[in-house]
Amino acid sequence: MVQSAKKIKENNRKRFAMFSKNKILKTINMHTNNIKEKFANIIDSKRYDLPLDNSEDTRFLITLITLMSFLAVLALSGVFALNSMTNKWSSGLENKITIEISVETKDGHILSQDTILKETKDLYEMLSSHKSVRSVEILGSEEIQELISPWIGNDLDLANIPLPGLIAVEIKNLDDDDFHILKKDIQKTSKHANIETHEQWLADLINFTKTLKTLSLLIALLIGSITTIAIASAVRTRLAIHHDEVELLHYMGATDDYIIRQFQRHTIILALKGAIIGTVIGMSVIYSLTFFSRGSGSELMPVIYIGISGVFILLFIPVIAAIITAITSHITVLRSLAKMP
Amino acid sequence: MIKFENIYFRYDEDGEDILRDVNFTLEPGSYHFLTGPSGAGKTSLATLMYMGNIPTQGNITMFGKDVKSAKRNDLFSLRQRIGVVFQDFRLLSHLSTFDNVALPLRIVGRPEDEIKSHVDELLDWVGLGKHKKHLPKKLSGGQQQRVAIARAVIGRPKLLLADEPTGNLDDEIGFRLMGLFEQLNRMGTTIVIATHNQQIIEQFGHPCLTLDNGSISQEDKRKQQKKIRHVF
Repeated sequence: MVQSAKKIKENNRKRFAMFSKNKILKTINMHTNNIKEKFANIIDSKRYDLPLDNSEDTRFLITLITLMSFLAVLALSGVFALNSMTNKWSSGLENKITIEISVETKDGHILSQDTILKETKDLYEMLSSHKSVRSVEILGSEEIQELISPWIGNDLDLANIPLPGLIAVEIKNLDDDDFHILKKDIQKTSKHANIETHEQWLADLINFTKTLKTLSLLIALLIGSITTIAIASAVRTRLAIHHDEVELLHYMGATDDYIIRQFQRHTIILALKGAIIGTVIGMSVIYSLTFFSRGSGSELMPVIYIGISGVFILLFIPVIAAIITAITSHITVLRSLAKMP
Repeated sequence: MIKFENIYFRYDEDGEDILRDVNFTLEPGSYHFLTGPSGAGKTSLATLMYMGNIPTQGNITMFGKDVKSAKRNDLFSLRQRIGVVFQDFRLLSHLSTFDNVALPLRIVGRPEDEIKSHVDELLDWVGLGKHKKHLPKKLSGGQQQRVAIARAVIGRPKLLLADEPTGNLDDEIGFRLMGLFEQLNRMGTTIVIATHNQQIIEQFGHPCLTLDNGSISQEDKRKQQKKIRHVF
């Protein structure tokens, strides 16, 4: 009796263990199936009713958009670099004037070095206490030599050459009247002083960079237009290839929007792929150039600097490409569908 | 109700009329065979019925709506009520059997769970349950035809147009599918079947629309079966 009770208990325990095991396995199985189904749904949501992926023209479109995005990065980086260059020039020369006491006067006489030194000193003293002046500095013979060495070289003995007097002046923010008074005061102190405000050549330089910027923007616009035409042409080709399938979807009651969405999804994915690759390559090239331009040591031609806002705009290129693609494919497909009954 | 009034149709402006002064009315829930010799214009007529073309002349009324004056979006919703079995099947070669059949339901935006259960059930019914992942090229002609039929009926259309639907099927499957059409008809679907098969026409005894030289004659109404009210 006792043995059989033990056996029953043991059997019950085994049955319970088996039941629990089965239950756990069933639950795991159920969850696995659920996960599998969810994944299948995700994969299914990427299904195209039209056979749009994996073809030669798909690869062509990706390559073209990569190239166009790369060129767009270069063109826009050019705009940003020119902007930073102009800003640097403007801020570097803003509120700065240079006064020169020339060796040769306007009527052709050569001034003695003593006269030049005296007038330079007088001007320095007057400007040091002038209310419109922030700072003033006389450029010594070494600095003048450094300035003129690109034209006459380093080998000449400056003791034998008459040097002009040069004074670098930083002025306060002046209106035209105050600046006119300052100019009069300078001319009163030294009748041989020439005032260089850098305005003319800076204006020329800024105009030149503006032209370059406009040109770069036009190139960016051209790139956008070419991309649009290429996308429209690719979509038209696809529509022609899959005319029968598109027609069939129409006969089943698929709306124009339903068919457009199929094309849009396809072309947007291609555009994003191409644009991301092109932008990454373009930005790598720009940053390599920035890195190398740092070593150039040129003050006039500054380092290529895009800036944080520039980087954000460049990173926006894939989004712009996607938007252009979405609009272009929408219009192109809609026009073609309108011709179908 | 489907009404064709004084319909003329030609493919090219300079070409000959394929259909001439075609007039007929199909009541909701009716069942007709469309017969006639080859080249009589059966397929052209069917194309006009699913609005794949517009007539050169005349008026078509589909489900009470004048097709000529219907807006583009109305045409889509009219087409969604029509199931078509094409003579050449027109299956999408890159889609599996399941996806081909599911297409009409996806177009109208049914949820995936519902699509799965409906399509699985129908594919089992037409004997293609084991082939649902196969691409059309892996299927025989008869199997492809069954996929085409399943696709046409999955959305429970109000009008089913079938162009030689039993052409590639053996007798057993053919009659089984004709049984499916009967069943759909009993549920209120209007059926038009273009066929040469006299055996089927005689066996099922539905009225015929006979096309001859582009014109149509609607057969003796005495043969017409009692119509079953619309249940959708």
